[in-house]
Amino acid sequence: MTSRRDFLKVTGAAGTGLMLGLYLEAKPRPGEAAKATFRPNAFLAIRPDGTAQITVPKVEMGQGVRTALPLALAEELDLDWSKIEVVNANPGPDFKGMQTGGSTSVSGTWNSLRKAGAAAREMLKAAAAAQWNVATDQCRTEQGFVLGPGGKKLGYGALAEAAARLPVPKDPPLKKPADYRLLGQRTPRFDGPAIVTGKAIFGLDVRRPGQCFAAVLRCPVPGGKPRTWDEAKAKAVRGVKAVVEVPTGIAVVAESTWAAFKGREALAATITWDEGQARDFNSSTLEAKMRAALTGPADDVRREGDVGKALKAAAKVLEAEYSFPYQAHATVEPMNTTALATADGAEMWAGSQSANRAQERAAAALGLKPEQLKVNVPLIGGGFGRRLGTDFSTEAAQVAKAAGGGPVQVVWDREDDIRHDLFHPATLHRLRAGLDGSGALTAWAHRIAGPAVLRSWTGGQKAPSQAATESNGAYDIPYAIPAIAVDFAEVEAPTPLGWWRGIEIVPNVFARECFLDEVAHTLGKDPLRFRLDLLGDRGTVKFGRETADIRRLKKVLEVAAAKAGWGRKLPAGHGLGLACHAYDGRTYAAEVAEVSVVKGRLRIHKVTCAVDCGLVVNPAGLEAQVEGGIAFGLSALFSQITWDKGRTVQTGYHDFPVLRLADMPAIETHVIPSAEAPSGMGEPPVPLAIPAVLNAVFAATGKRIRKVPLEGGQI
Amino acid sequence: MPTYQLTVNGRARTLDADADTPLLWILRDTLGLTGTKFGCGQGVCGACTVHLDGQAVKSCQTSLKEAAGHSVITVEGLSKDGSHPVQKAWIAEDVAQCGYCQPGMIMTAAALLKRKAHPMDADIDEAFADHVCRCGTYPRIRKAVKRAAGGVK
Repeated sequence: MTSRRDFLKVTGAAGTGLMLGLYLEAKPRPGEAAKATFRPNAFLAIRPDGTAQITVPKVEMGQGVRTALPLALAEELDLDWSKIEVVNANPGPDFKGMQTGGSTSVSGTWNSLRKAGAAAREMLKAAAAAQWNVATDQCRTEQGFVLGPGGKKLGYGALAEAAARLPVPKDPPLKKPADYRLLGQRTPRFDGPAIVTGKAIFGLDVRRPGQCFAAVLRCPVPGGKPRTWDEAKAKAVRGVKAVVEVPTGIAVVAESTWAAFKGREALAATITWDEGQARDFNSSTLEAKMRAALTGPADDVRREGDVGKALKAAAKVLEAEYSFPYQAHATVEPMNTTALATADGAEMWAGSQSANRAQERAAAALGLKPEQLKVNVPLIGGGFGRRLGTDFSTEAAQVAKAAGGGPVQVVWDREDDIRHDLFHPATLHRLRAGLDGSGALTAWAHRIAGPAVLRSWTGGQKAPSQAATESNGAYDIPYAIPAIAVDFAEVEAPTPLGWWRGIEIVPNVFARECFLDEVAHTLGKDPLRFRLDLLGDRGTVKFGRETADIRRLKKVLEVAAAKAGWGRKLPAGHGLGLACHAYDGRTYAAEVAEVSVVKGRLRIHKVTCAVDCGLVVNPAGLEAQVEGGIAFGLSALFSQITWDKGRTVQTGYHDFPVLRLADMPAIETHVIPSAEAPSGMGEPPVPLAIPAVLNAVFAATGKRIRKVPLEGGQI
Repeated sequence: MPTYQLTVNGRARTLDADADTPLLWILRDTLGLTGTKFGCGQGVCGACTVHLDGQAVKSCQTSLKEAAGHSVITVEGLSKDGSHPVQKAWIAEDVAQCGYCQPGMIMTAAALLKRKAHPMDADIDEAFADHVCRCGTYPRIRKAVKRAAGGVK
């Protein structure tokens, strides 16, 4: 037995551990009757009227966690889905692992939410059983009620007060998948009605009493600083209230966003910069350095067999260079944060994917302890990894402090958002394959050269896992090849970097799956058959820090190919291409693209995707992730960030194109039924889109494209 | 300083702001109608789309002076309760992911269907040419427009 003071400790995946406090008398929300509200843990409150409030420990940025995670709790508790209210967590002692990224939200926390729901269910049953004087196992739950023998029935709200007095069970029984009523059903997005009526509140929609708006004039060259400026010009603009200096630049604080923008424009006409060390940086110099690094020293990640010897002994050696550019996140909601800094504390409203870090860093910048800074996380208008950064939230806290007084919303415009992104860096790839006289692939070498994203996460330090991180998608090549060498040669660049949906797997799998296609065609083999043969009859295989089940990968490849009609006769100018990957050894995906190239114009008609991501919590959400992931991947086929004189050449959607409706292919998603734990779906579809399409372009035209982006005239 | 009169969601408003102030910021910062979103301020993402006398326009490219004397409908004014056929179709097709661009998409869809009750795919492509959804909800937007077809009066 446990006591009412006990804590139910529920631990998710690494880094998302949660301690669920037990609040019986504590923490009633304003206007709530403390005694009658049942709060068995930090995720759940059941009110006397039977409504349930579920607190989501991850942030919603379109991936559907405000639907999927409440579903996990509601399933175990048998809640009436129409009577739930979903609120976002605040970082703090109850929520230490709010970081949202890496396709881990469901996989990392669904057990915590299931256990929270199951514990509450057992307590409500026990409360009803006591009231009816029957055994607990004679009671069951359904749609917000406890049902007992002889037609007895009590709502959760009526039982809330009694349940709150009971001990929290440590290890409540979880439902069997066969008994699920909500999980696995198509559930529409919880926030849909608020979104379509304009009521959903994103970061930029935060409005606090007395709020001002600010725009920051930042040096276009990373690391540059203001030298001279005339703030009088900005202050002369109607509505401008203050001009303050912050570490990132000069902030213009005004009564409206427009006044802040106009004030900043006036200020910009007067400013001179010390552009700093990066002022001469440009893309062509970086490319030359990366090319040199393709044959210089590197950090080994995977070395099996003797690649040098195998290549020497090969009857034929194929070699190719693949290239992938810098990319921006380009979320439609630009970066922003609303912050309030007073003498004894602070509060901010930040659409952060990393709310705990945002709290720690902004608090440190203000000279506060984290607990003195309350962080609220509104809805996020697109994250894709950009909002794992804390630059925008810390800056807003600094602006609010420097401006003094009331809350300030720091608004980035589109140019700010592109220019001051935390970019995905460019890479060059040198691939070599050795083929023996019988047509077997005997050696595979993949060298990656480029800046290291991981340094952006480790305070600039080279972490032991750096080379593995940067070669994710390359070192875990799943094919059975006698000799394999994968390594990473770091090339420094003075550009801010960050995580980007699909991370390094996007360029690495692009190079890997396209080059493998080259090998297949060189050998005159069908690319599907060639992959299936190379995957072989293997089970679980370990690649460094990752383990993958090759059978699951083969299955998605076979299903995607079959559903796409691999091998069928195609119209003239059409081609099919495929790619597959075991994402971090946990989610298996394959995509087949059908394209046509007519008079040099590429059209992507359809992408057929098969996935095995374990148990599917919400099929509607999963399909949305596949559609969105493919759109994100395809977008990168046409976009790039380039650098000249230390600054980005691109400044908006007009020169950093994002896929539009007319260019979106039809998407067909096939899910491999699985009883394994959910394994994540946000990123896995992204890296396959480009290689599937470019392999299809080769099938259609015989032209091999090894460079992204696809610029005019390449096909 | 002159003031400007316009009707927003059926309500007459008098505004004291510079003539060149984009309607977007009047709606969001002065009137508190935050359903209309800021995405680019360059007229190329569509997040700020509203109706001006029934036509879909980019409110970031429409000045207060241009809007004066006209009727503006924002996503908040499309229906009282989310019952506009386009809003219902958006829910039925579960279109939104992050949802940020969707009010602009919905306003464009409503204007398109008013103009053309049964649009062809090419009409839909054209109507949404200036819209960006970074989450990639496009297949569902197309489905939702078709679902709402014929229902917009």
